[in-house]
This record gives sequence, structure tokens and C-alpha cells, in this order.
Amino acid sequence: MTSTRQMIVTLFMVALVCSIVLSCVYSFTSPRIADTQNQLTLAGLKEVSAAQEFVEIIPDTLWRALDSSGNCSGIVFRVFPQGYGGSIPITVGLDLDGEITGVRIASAAEGMKETPGLGAKITEKDFIEQFKGKKASEVPLKRDGGEVDAITAATISSRAVCEGIKAGIGKYTNYLGAEPNKMNVFPVAQEFVEIVKEKLWYALLGTDTLGIVFVSSAEGYCDCITFMVGVNKDGEITGVEIVYSNETPGIGEKIREREFLDEFTEGMPEAITGATISSTALIEAIKNDIEHYMEYLK
Amino acid sequence: MKRWHIFTRGLVKENAVLILMIGLCPALAVSGTVRDAFGMGLAATFVLFFSNVIIAMIRKSVPNEVRIPIFILIISTFVTIIDYFMQAFQPDLYRALGVFVPLIVVNCMILGRAEAFASKNSVINAALDGLGVGIGFTLALTVMGSIREILGNGTFLGMTAFGEAFRKTPVIFMILSPGAFLLIGILKALINKYVKKE
Repeated sequence: MTSTRQMIVTLFMVALVCSIVLSCVYSFTSPRIADTQNQLTLAGLKEVSAAQEFVEIIPDTLWRALDSSGNCSGIVFRVFPQGYGGSIPITVGLDLDGEITGVRIASAAEGMKETPGLGAKITEKDFIEQFKGKKASEVPLKRDGGEVDAITAATISSRAVCEGIKAGIGKYTNYLGAEPNKMNVFPVAQEFVEIVKEKLWYALLGTDTLGIVFVSSAEGYCDCITFMVGVNKDGEITGVEIVYSNETPGIGEKIREREFLDEFTEGMPEAITGATISSTALIEAIKNDIEHYMEYLK
Repeated sequence: MKRWHIFTRGLVKENAVLILMIGLCPALAVSGTVRDAFGMGLAATFVLFFSNVIIAMIRKSVPNEVRIPIFILIISTFVTIIDYFMQAFQPDLYRALGVFVPLIVVNCMILGRAEAFASKNSVINAALDGLGVGIGFTLALTVMGSIREILGNGTFLGMTAFGEAFRKTPVIFMILSPGAFLLIGILKALINKYVKKE
């Protein structure tokens, strides 16, 4: 019979040695693991977008795509619709017009669990190439009123992909706007100090506070309109930029025109003829917001 | 010659999967493609070899009552090591094998060799035994993976086998789970017929 103490000591020693070995291995491999993960993610993103760089907005879910000169060229998002065998990890790239730049469906090795030979055909080029250049309304299967051909004998998986992509576009399209540049709405300032995260900044020149810059939104005709406004100490608008809008092309979208936006710096403009709802919504929202943020100007 | 025998008996005569019918879970689950099967085999061989060596080394100072927890600690340490390395250097393979890498810990083949052989034999013999059984396991998995990938997917190591037409309409059944059961049954039957029993 072995004494209890001997058992405890042996077990303790073995456990100690094992943990020391493991912590060494972990500290050696963990940077490599993180590195490999990042590379894989980046490679996956580059497959669906021609952009050079990606800025993560929602971890592992949403990225802003930047071209070589650092301008926003679209977004990339991931969705996980329920297929036949489990959820299907899909990466989708969108350009600024809301058109799909590419779709990537994870391989079986990366967690796609559709039936090999049937549902798994959704990863094949013939199927995913169909999505390129399509907008949300064209994405559903032909039999569901869209323009995508389903894979024979894999309707459930094909439909899941289409519906997933469509839902994703609906959900993330708000992020499509180019990254607003605070310099554009407050050209005199040199520096911006964040007061409310992603919403409100002080515009500084040296140590002087010149005014504020804020991001806000209005209820437009089709969708919400997000905009950025600069206001100086006297309550005068220094600039307005549209961050995101999805109004009727050619009509409501006229609120994006430079001429209209520049009018704000010379007092409130008139509504745009033919785009009264969109432009009035923007004008009223800006008026209200300036009043709301007035206290920060004192 | 005795050492040579220790090494070779794990290859065919006492092949873990095809003769002793142990370690079947990973053999059935990850033998869908050659690459996965071979990777799994190598991972298990690594764990088997090193756990056998370490256990044989410390066999005289391990109290009998706590030998199982100690064996499991050692085995799981090596499983975790291979898990980290695979994640860092073979991420595709790691994702393909999924939960079956950590599950090597509970593979009865490994604990079985530790208990039945390594804890009673010298380091060199234990090393040879671990290597033999591991290679035998790798062989069995690779054979299964090859047959299943060629028939079920029309490819071998990702390259097209038997032409494009067959790749488009392969025997899908073989790559699904029932195909694994069917194949292991056929292999077992062939072995029973052609390999002489002692």
C-alpha cells in the first residue's frame, strides 16, 4: 500500500510539470495562433472585396472596406443563416451602391455542415458567382421572386444562403456611408476631441474651442438619413455632410448634392423641389439638433 | 528481434482500428478525406509516442492507486500541445478535425497502451510500441480516407481521380457517415479472410 501522502505528492508533481510545459507551449504558440487567425480573416475578406484594408466595426461580423488611398469603398459583413445541416457561415462584400462585390461561403473544413455532394454545392463557383453585382432585391431565388438559380436538389441550402445574404444587406446597409470626415464640416479646426462616443466632438484650433461637430439622423422618405454637422460658437453651421442615406435615386437622393449642402453654411436652405420630404426631414433635424447641442457651445 | 516484433505487431497483426476495433470514433468520423485522416493519424501517433515514453519513464514512481489520473494528465498535456501547434501551423487541418483533436484524450487506444504496455515496460520498448500502434492507426485511417475520398468525392488529396465526369457524380454515400460504417465492415471482413490468426 502506498501512503496517501505519496499519492498526493506524485499527483501534484505531475500536474505541476504538465502545467509548466503547457504554459511554455502556450506562450510560444499563442502569438502564432492569433497571427494565423488574422491572416485567415483577412484572406477571407479580400476574397469578397477588392479593398486594401479593413476596419473592424463589429468584431468578427462587420468591416469597413478601405481602398488604397484610405477612402471607404464599401463594407464586408458575415451572416450565419440556418441551412439544412446547421448554420452556414457566409461573408459578403458590398460596394457603396449596395451591390454585392463578392460572396464567400465557408468550406466544410471551416464549419459549413451542409450535406456533401448536395447542399455543400453552395460553395461552388457556379452558384456564388451569381451574386456578384446584385442588389438586395435581386438576391432571392428565382422561384421566390429574385434572380438567383437554386442548385438542383439543394433548394433548402440555396434558399438559406439567399435569405441570409438579403437579411444581412438589410441589417448592415446603414454602415455603407463613407467614413465621415470631421474636417469637411469644420475646415478651420485642427483637432477634434470626442465628447460623446462617435456622436459629438469639440472642434479645436490650438487650445481654443471653435465649436462642435456632431453626427445625428433624421427620418427620411425611405430610410433614416444620417448626417454630420459642424457648428461654430455663434451657432452658425460650418458644414454638412451626409453620412448615410438611402432615398429615392434622382429624387430624395438630391439631398446629397453639394450645392444643397453648401447652402446650410449661409443659413437654413429651402426644401428641394420634388424632394420635399427628404430635404425637409434633414433641415428640421439639423435645426433641432443644433438647439439640442447648444449647451456644449457655451 | 523481440523489439522488432513489438514495433510491427501494432501495424497489422494488432492494428488498433481494423483488428482490435478500438479508437473507432475518430476512425469513422474524420476519414472522409485523405488529408484529414492522415492528419488525425499523425496527431494520435505523436500523443501515443510521447505519452508512452513519459509513462514508461516514471512508471516506477507512480503509485498504483493514482496511475489513471496521472496517465490522463500526461496524455492530455500532449494532446493540448498538438492542439496548439495545429492551430498555429495547420489551421485548415485543425478546423477540419474539429472536436476530434481534443477527443484524442479519451481515445481508449492511447490510455490502453499506457495501462497495458508502457506502465510495465522499458522506455525503448514503450516508444517502439507507441510508434507501431500509432503508425498502424495512421495506416488504417489513411486507407479508409483514400477509399472514401476517391469513391465519395472523386478526388484524392484534392486532385481529381477517375476523371471529371466521375467527380461530378461520385458515390456520395461513401463520404457520408453510413459509408464509413460500411467501409470498416468490408475492411474487417477482408482482414478476417486473408490475415492469419495466431
